[in-house]
Amino acid sequence: MLRYSLRRLLIGVGMLLALSVLIFAMLRLTPGDPIDAYIDPNIPMSSSDLAELRATLGLDQPLPVQYLGWLRQALTGNLGYSIKRPDQPVLGLVLSRVGPTVLLMGSAIAIAIVAGIATGVISAVRRNSVADLSLSVFAVTGISSPPFLSALVGLYLFSVYFNWMPSGGMLTPGQEFSIADLLHHLILPATLLAVAQTALIMRYMRASMLEVLSQDYVRTARAKGVFEFWVITKHALRNALLPVITLIGSTIGLAIGGAIFIESVFNWPGMGLLMVDAVEGRDYPVIMGSTLVIGACVIVVNLLTDLAYAVVDPRIKVG
Amino acid sequence: MKRLQRLSSAIALSALMATTVAPAFIGPAKAATLSGGFDVGPGGFQGNFNPLAATGGFTWLSVYFEPLVTYDAKLEKVVGQLASSYEVSPDQLTYAFTLVDAKWHDGKPFTAKDAKFTIELAKNAKTGSVLAARLSAVSSVEAKDDNTLIIKLSAPSASLMDTLTKVMMLPEHALSQIPADQLAKNTWWSTAPIGTGPFKFSKYVTDQYVELVANTDYRGGQPALEKIINRYFANPAAAIAALRAGEIQFTYVDSNDLKAFDNNKDFRVIEGNSFVVNYLGFNHDSPIWKDVRVRQAVMYAINRDAIIQSLYGGAAEPANCAYVADQVVPKGIETYAYDPEKAKQLLKDAGWDEINGNKPVTLLTYYTTPLAANVMAAVQAMLAQVGINVTPRAVDTPTYNSIVLNPTPDVAQFQMVYAGLQNGPDPGSINVGLNEKQIPPAGPNVARVRMPVLTAALDAALGETDAAKRSARYQDVCKVMNKELPWGPLWVAKRYGVASARLKDFIWTPAPGGGPYQAHPEKWAIAE
Repeated sequence: MLRYSLRRLLIGVGMLLALSVLIFAMLRLTPGDPIDAYIDPNIPMSSSDLAELRATLGLDQPLPVQYLGWLRQALTGNLGYSIKRPDQPVLGLVLSRVGPTVLLMGSAIAIAIVAGIATGVISAVRRNSVADLSLSVFAVTGISSPPFLSALVGLYLFSVYFNWMPSGGMLTPGQEFSIADLLHHLILPATLLAVAQTALIMRYMRASMLEVLSQDYVRTARAKGVFEFWVITKHALRNALLPVITLIGSTIGLAIGGAIFIESVFNWPGMGLLMVDAVEGRDYPVIMGSTLVIGACVIVVNLLTDLAYAVVDPRIKVG
Repeated sequence: MKRLQRLSSAIALSALMATTVAPAFIGPAKAATLSGGFDVGPGGFQGNFNPLAATGGFTWLSVYFEPLVTYDAKLEKVVGQLASSYEVSPDQLTYAFTLVDAKWHDGKPFTAKDAKFTIELAKNAKTGSVLAARLSAVSSVEAKDDNTLIIKLSAPSASLMDTLTKVMMLPEHALSQIPADQLAKNTWWSTAPIGTGPFKFSKYVTDQYVELVANTDYRGGQPALEKIINRYFANPAAAIAALRAGEIQFTYVDSNDLKAFDNNKDFRVIEGNSFVVNYLGFNHDSPIWKDVRVRQAVMYAINRDAIIQSLYGGAAEPANCAYVADQVVPKGIETYAYDPEKAKQLLKDAGWDEINGNKPVTLLTYYTTPLAANVMAAVQAMLAQVGINVTPRAVDTPTYNSIVLNPTPDVAQFQMVYAGLQNGPDPGSINVGLNEKQIPPAGPNVARVRMPVLTAALDAALGETDAAKRSARYQDVCKVMNKELPWGPLWVAKRYGVASARLKDFIWTPAPGGGPYQAHPEKWAIAE
């Protein structure tokens, strides 16, 4: 297994290298460079100033020279400096954003799993009741609401109109850090990020549960006089969960996409906001750095998943 | 699975508790703290801490840094800040500044040596300074004594004082050891900067906010506020939400968002001149605009009053050259009142059917706001009525710049631009967009205007160092623009900020690039 892991890691390094070449080439194909992004067309600036700035940043060098220069630095663990914020190293900037994004996405996924499964079970057990119908209406609305709509409506309602939640940010400026303050800022974006996923999980859970509830073993359990609560939770739920777990895994991508938008609306200082800002400013080092960090995470998680399969299921062999 | 459920329940429960418990002890910041979106909107520059690299954001930077001279709050004249007075030699080549007694935030005295050090940094492009070319006329800077600074020029410069308003003084004792080419990358800017202003840098929470605390030793008196916080927002809409939720007390607001504050006594709307003229730039490399009658037709075809009333809510003034200020607009120039019939006749006389006919004309812009989209749609519809088939295209700023600043551009991509250019407080700022010598790559004359008579008028105005005669020279520029139409000038819009009614003595104006101007942050206060 060690050999297999090492081989996979080596392949991973190769993939990261290929990813860096790809991103570098794609960035240079997009119109405009960091200096173009720097110029406010409304404010007069002389071209000699701009040429000087380009030279200072090395943007006047041929592309292979620029790439090799970046790679040489990156191999030593230095991802360079942000062009938009030249006093901030990219690595520190990117790493400081991982925590907030993981917190936001993790909370949203947790909310979606708990709420989705609970409401799905209620809907299935109380089939065709008022509760089922109301939850189905919620689910259809949730699935069909794009994140920008739910985020803006949620922001207006809970922050501006009712004034229950902060309108953005992760902590109250000027106050000492506290968990309560963090959670107070987290709950609204995390819940809104969870809406679509909750609705999806709920629909799957309901369908899966209905199917399981009509199985013979459930009827047998009821016939044996098992309490209805135990029939649902022990016999039906566990079996109904299997397809839902697969679904949860595949909707994490949905959460990443949504997180980028939610972070922009709520000014949540995560990877999404950083990347959107970097792309708008053509901040090449930040885009390269954050893509590489995400790429490395995906490669490591994939490897761990494969290894976990082998550990969990002895029929699967790696290597 | 059970463990996962337990964890999920715990998170949900904590979150629920936070929402119910938190409001009891997470209230708005203390009364002596002012929070605002000082870098929101067109004059802001979020994330930039280095005044040498600042193309905007001066509203905020000038709360803790100070220049030698600045604009007054109405942006009408240059007044002293760290310089109490200045004298200019008769040949306009030597400026002698007398400096005030001021201290840096670390207690050390501010002297003419610091001013010399700063101006030399700003002149040195290796520092990443965006001011270097604008200071190229400065031949030497001398510190005659601690309170006297002498600046010598190689040629008279009418724009020197305007440029000096952007040069924020920096402490020699803190920065002199850093090599010029490493200065921009130094963490000093966002961790421990010191200035001479009424507030001192306290902390920066990456991409969330910057906090300043009162400089109790400020020469202008102890500030009324304890802290000022500059919150960062991804867009003006997010800042407006925070303002309405009571989390901040001030932000810039787009004119079409003003309705939310109409007749609301909790807020005060502040109106100011944008000093940006919006125009339709005819790409002079494209043969379709050669005939002045075609350019005139565009002007007559657009109902600017209707657009100003319906889209800007009246918050703009039609421009018939690059200016709208009385002192630089001569009497009797053509007003290009809406007249579609005249536009059709002019196009017919010019032979528009042969020149271009119904072929699409690309109209490129970097404005991506809903207001700009509506303006583009209105312009498209109005020009279509007279037979000009315009295709609007809105792109982000880097894309726009890469297209229009390209030394060998593809004319088909921007036969026209909808753009803006700063036209004040120094009227000379429009030179770069119209002078033939500023055609890319030399400068940002993106419409490739080649009009010798206009270039001559601009050169004469820029070379005029006698303040009394300068307005007359700019009137000449206006006359030429109005007659020859290098651009189709549209309007100068007003811009807005909204402040909480509890804010006292708060001075703000939507200056281009955020100023700087005399805002007196030491007097800002919040009513209990």
